[in-house]
Amino acid sequence: MRQAARLLAGALLAPSAALAAAQKAAVPPPYAGVYQPQGVDEIGWWREDDESERVLAASSLVIRDEALTGYIRGVLCATVGADRCHSVRVYVLREPTFNATMSPNGTMRVFSGLLLRVRNEAELGAVLGHEFGHFERRHSLNLFRTRRTGTDVLAWTGLLVSMAPSYRAARAYRDLQWSIYGHLFRYGRDQEREADSLGVGYLNQSSLPPQAAAAMWQNLMDEAAASARARGLRKPNFKAIAFTASHPPLAERADTLAGLARIDGEGRDNGSARYHAALAPWLPLLLDDQIKLNDFGASDYLIQNLARDGWSADLWLARGELYRARGNPRDVEHAAAFYANAIALNDALAPAHRGLGLALLKSGKPGDGHAALRRYLQLSPDAPDAKLIGMLVPGGNAP
Amino acid sequence: MGIVRRTALAVGVVLFAAAPAAAQERSATRSGFELPAHSGKRILVFRPSVSVGAQSTGGMFEPNGDWTEKAKRNIQLSLERLQGRLGNSVVVAPEAYGEDAQRVQEHMALFAAVSQAVIEYQFFKGNRLPTKKRDNKNQVFDWSLGAGVATLPGAQDADYGLFVYNRDAYGSTGRKILQVLALLGPGIAVKSGEHAGYAGLVDLRTGDLLWLNADGAMGGDVRDEEGSEKRVRQLLEDFPGGDIKQDS
Repeated sequence: MRQAARLLAGALLAPSAALAAAQKAAVPPPYAGVYQPQGVDEIGWWREDDESERVLAASSLVIRDEALTGYIRGVLCATVGADRCHSVRVYVLREPTFNATMSPNGTMRVFSGLLLRVRNEAELGAVLGHEFGHFERRHSLNLFRTRRTGTDVLAWTGLLVSMAPSYRAARAYRDLQWSIYGHLFRYGRDQEREADSLGVGYLNQSSLPPQAAAAMWQNLMDEAAASARARGLRKPNFKAIAFTASHPPLAERADTLAGLARIDGEGRDNGSARYHAALAPWLPLLLDDQIKLNDFGASDYLIQNLARDGWSADLWLARGELYRARGNPRDVEHAAAFYANAIALNDALAPAHRGLGLALLKSGKPGDGHAALRRYLQLSPDAPDAKLIGMLVPGGNAP
Repeated sequence: MGIVRRTALAVGVVLFAAAPAAAQERSATRSGFELPAHSGKRILVFRPSVSVGAQSTGGMFEPNGDWTEKAKRNIQLSLERLQGRLGNSVVVAPEAYGEDAQRVQEHMALFAAVSQAVIEYQFFKGNRLPTKKRDNKNQVFDWSLGAGVATLPGAQDADYGLFVYNRDAYGSTGRKILQVLALLGPGIAVKSGEHAGYAGLVDLRTGDLLWLNADGAMGGDVRDEEGSEKRVRQLLEDFPGGDIKQDS
C-alpha cells in the first residue's frame, strides 16, 4: 500500500521534476574520443553513410573553398571544443535554404542558405552545436530502432486484426496505428529538443554568447513573417505544429533556448565582424541564389537585415536584382535607384550597370539605359550574355 | 537530423502492398550494336552500387555492412569470371581524385538517371510513354550519356563501360514468420525480401547506351560465391556476344 502511494506520488511529482530538469541546459560530458559503430544496424548505417559521403565529396553541389570550410570548421571547434570537432568532416553545399544536417558517421552538411541567415559566429555555432548534439547522442540510430519497433508492432497487430475481422477490432487497430505514428513523430521532436539543449550546452561552455540560439530563431520567425506578408498571407502560427511535424514549433524553441542560456554569457563577443569578413567573398553568390528562390518578402528581409551595419555595393545590387525580378513598373523604378546606389559605391561593379541599363530601358528611358549597358559591355566584354546585351544597344555589336 | 522541418519520413507498413510492377525483367540492346563472342574487348567496370541488408518485420530496410562487403567482392569476382568466359576482360576503374572524381561521380549519377528513365518509361507496362511504346514496337533503343564518358579516367584503355546497381533486402526471421502466418491465417500475400538490380553497357567513345538489363526480382544469394554467380548471370542475361545462361 505504501509502495503504491509512493509510486503515485512519484508519478504526480515526476512532471514538475522533469520540468525543473529541463530548465537547465544539458552539460556536455567529457568526449569519448574516436567512436566505432557497434552492432549490426549501426555498422550497416555507417557503411551506407560512408558510401554516401563518397558521393557527396565528389558532388558538384559542394562549395570547394578551403578558407570558407576551414572557417566553419573553426566555429564548430570553438563551439563544441577541439576534442569533439575532430570527428567531423564539414561540407558546404550550395543549397539556398536554411538547414544543416549531420550523419551518424560524422559527415556534416551545411547549406549555403544557412550562412546567409545567421548573423554571427555564435548563431552559426548554435546550429552546428545542435547538429553535433544529434551526432553525439546517436539520434539517427535510435530513431531508426524506434521506427523499426513501431512498424513491427503494427505488422503483427495488423495480421491479428485481419484474423478477427470485426468492426471493433478494426477500430482498435486504427487507434493503435495513430498512437504509434504519433509516438514516432513525438520521439523525433523530443530528439530535436535534446539536440537544442545540447547545442546551448556547448555554447554555454564556449567563448560565444549562448543567447544567440534564441535570437537566431527569432530572426527566422521574422523572416517567415515577412515572406508571408509579401505574399498577402496570414502571419504563420509559430506556436502550433502538425501531427507529423519533425521539429518542435519555432516559438517554443526560441523560448526554451532563451531560458537555457547562461546569463553571464551574454556579454561575450559574438564574432559578428569575423563572420562578415569570412562570408564577404561568397555574399554575391549567396544573395543571387536567394533571389532566384522567388520569395520577395524573405529576400528583402534578409538583404535589409544584412545592411543593418551599413549598405555595401553588393547589397544594393542584390536589392536592385530582387526588385527588377518582380518587375512591376514601380519595382523597376526602385531597382534603378538601388543600382545607382551600388554604382555610387563601386563604379566597377559590372552587373550593377547591366541591371541599371535593363531597368531604365523598361521604365522608358532608353538614352540612359543604353549608356549603362555600354558601360557594362565595356567593363565585362567577355560576359556570357555580352552578345545578348549588345543587341539591346544601338550599334552595340559593332566591333 | 536537420535543424528545421523536413518532409516527414514515411513509416508506412508495407504489409498488404500488392506485388510492385518492378517485379519483372526486361533488357534491350541498341539496334546495330553487335559484340561478336571472343572479340577480346576491354570492359571498364565503374564502382558498382551494392547495398545488402535485411527487411524488418514491418518492411523497413536494415543495411548490413558485412553482407554488403561480401556481396561487393563476390559480384566483382563473378563479373570477371563471366566476362572472361565471353572472351572479354574486365578492368576495374582506377580511383579518381579531384576533378576526375567529380566527373566520374557526375557520370555515375547520369547513368543512374538515364537507366531509371529507361526502366520507368520504356521497359515496363503502366508507365510507358507513348513514344517509347512506339520505339519498343520498332525495336528502337536510343539513349546516351554523351561523349563526355571518353574523358573519364581509364576510358582510354577500354572499349566499353559497365555500370552495375544491386540492392538486396533479405526478409528477417520475423518477416518470414509473418509471411507464413499471413498466408496460413487470413490468406494475405506478404512479400518477404527485395532483390532488384540493373546493369548497363556504355560505349566509351560515344557515350551511347548499348545494352541495359533491369530485373526487379532476381535469385541467387549475393552473400555467398555460388549465389552471386547466379545473380550476376541474371544481371548479365542477354548480354551481347553470347549466351551466359547456356555457357555454364
